[in-house]
Amino acid sequence: MKPLILTAPAPITVVQPRSGRWETVALLAAGVALVLGMTGYLLLRPLKVAPPVALSWQVRSFDGLSPVDQAIHSALLPAGQEIIWNNDDTGGWISLERAQAMLLPPFYRDTFWKANGEVSWQLILPGTHLSHQQSGNAHLQANASAEPEASSSAVAQATQGQGATVYYGTGGKVPGQSAYLLVIGHAHAGVMWANQATIWIHRDANAPYPAIVKAESLVGEGWRQVIPYDGSREIERVKGALP
Amino acid sequence: MNSPAALRTWVRRALALALLLLPMLALASTATEPSKRLKIGITLHPYYSFVANIVGDKADVVPLIPAEANPHNYQPQPDDIARAMTLDALVVNGIGHDEWAQEIVKAAGRLDDLPIIQANASVALIPIGGDQGGGKVVNPHTFVSTTAAIQQVFEIARRLGELDPANARTYRQNALAYAGRIRALRARYMTRFAGLDLSNFRCATTHGGYDYMLQEFGLFVTAVIEPRHGVAPTARQLATTLDTIKKAHVQVLFAEKSFSLDLAKPIEAATGVKVFALSHINGTQFSADEFETAMRDNIETLAEAVEYTQR
Repeated sequence: MKPLILTAPAPITVVQPRSGRWETVALLAAGVALVLGMTGYLLLRPLKVAPPVALSWQVRSFDGLSPVDQAIHSALLPAGQEIIWNNDDTGGWISLERAQAMLLPPFYRDTFWKANGEVSWQLILPGTHLSHQQSGNAHLQANASAEPEASSSAVAQATQGQGATVYYGTGGKVPGQSAYLLVIGHAHAGVMWANQATIWIHRDANAPYPAIVKAESLVGEGWRQVIPYDGSREIERVKGALP
Repeated sequence: MNSPAALRTWVRRALALALLLLPMLALASTATEPSKRLKIGITLHPYYSFVANIVGDKADVVPLIPAEANPHNYQPQPDDIARAMTLDALVVNGIGHDEWAQEIVKAAGRLDDLPIIQANASVALIPIGGDQGGGKVVNPHTFVSTTAAIQQVFEIARRLGELDPANARTYRQNALAYAGRIRALRARYMTRFAGLDLSNFRCATTHGGYDYMLQEFGLFVTAVIEPRHGVAPTARQLATTLDTIKKAHVQVLFAEKSFSLDLAKPIEAATGVKVFALSHINGTQFSADEFETAMRDNIETLAEAVEYTQR
């Protein structure tokens, strides 16, 4: 049996950290910073991704137009495509009489036309594409059947040399309704030529026809370009490619 | 008598001639080879009709999923993946009605090489009508319409023309002819609407699927029962909607023909609205004329509803 040896307790030595306890403060500070950062992110993060922002001289079709303007814009888009294809195939422009025969909205005078303000449309033909006008019988027929007031009016003269075909809509009767321009640019690229449609609106339903149908002039006269919020933009938005 | 030198000369000439002819033969064979007949996949019933009318007999239209499947909650099946592996292009709605197509294409290993035709790429989208909690939500039902349908037909024809240039002109001509038929269908009913007073027409819909069609007739939706696409309302949301219907003097509720009327009937009882059923264009068989038939029925129903409010 081993004898019990009693020894005096060793003196307790308290070892102070060399840093002077700054780790505790640093850890607390890091924790607070983390909490503040998370709180800030949760408060400030975008709750939903919005459609792209329109510039001052543009308006978005999705949420910037009245229901009537939206309806007319929706109809002008496929009409513009059909007008362009027709021009590609025949060299001619669809006159307003032809649009009636084709039942082509928004020009066709049906219930849609009545419900959306009975807009008065004019076709303003370009003045500088005589070579195209003479290139096919269809185009000659289209010109012959175009609205007389459109082909011979002062507004038609105003577009001479600009190379754009314009469908100009005014006089809508619904309160707050706009005036409309479907501008089909007729651009040459060497021996090839291509058409592209843009749609513009003016707050005044009776806005006069613009002196010059070019973007900078239209903006100066109070016209705003409609930016269609179309499926390709929606797909980009959902995928996160748009801001 | 042929000497070895003469033989060598003859062989050299024959080889030179062969070398000269080979590229010409190769060019001739490619020139006479007919363009490949495309197999074009579609996701929804209206797109079958659109593509079938655009391509005519120049290509095959292949539904990606069975005809009777509900696109709102579809779960991809192995057969769908097998079909996706054989396609040359796929036409999709792309804005919220056939998201499962992406899963099928991915599972088929075709994400990188299958051309996807976004039918709505150039369609001006509008929000779902009524109050959607203060925000504007994109309505993906562009195919329940005539104008937006025509825009999609044009977009599909344009993209197919890029994929199949040999038939591009035919696709465009067919698209224009089909658009003319759709417009004629609409025009027949426009005449009927012409004598009606639309100014006091107020409607609600159970499903936010009919804004494009109503817009074409100058009509707008006052309230939508479903708070989100395919989502049933809570009791509180339903109570709020019923309040809106009463305050706005809504006379008509459009329900969905192929969905249950469980939601519509209590609303009819609580508010006195008259229930009419519209088609979402999702039948049990794919066909080229399904879109025109369904839209004729839809516009007929719309005309009946407007006439009901004139009594």
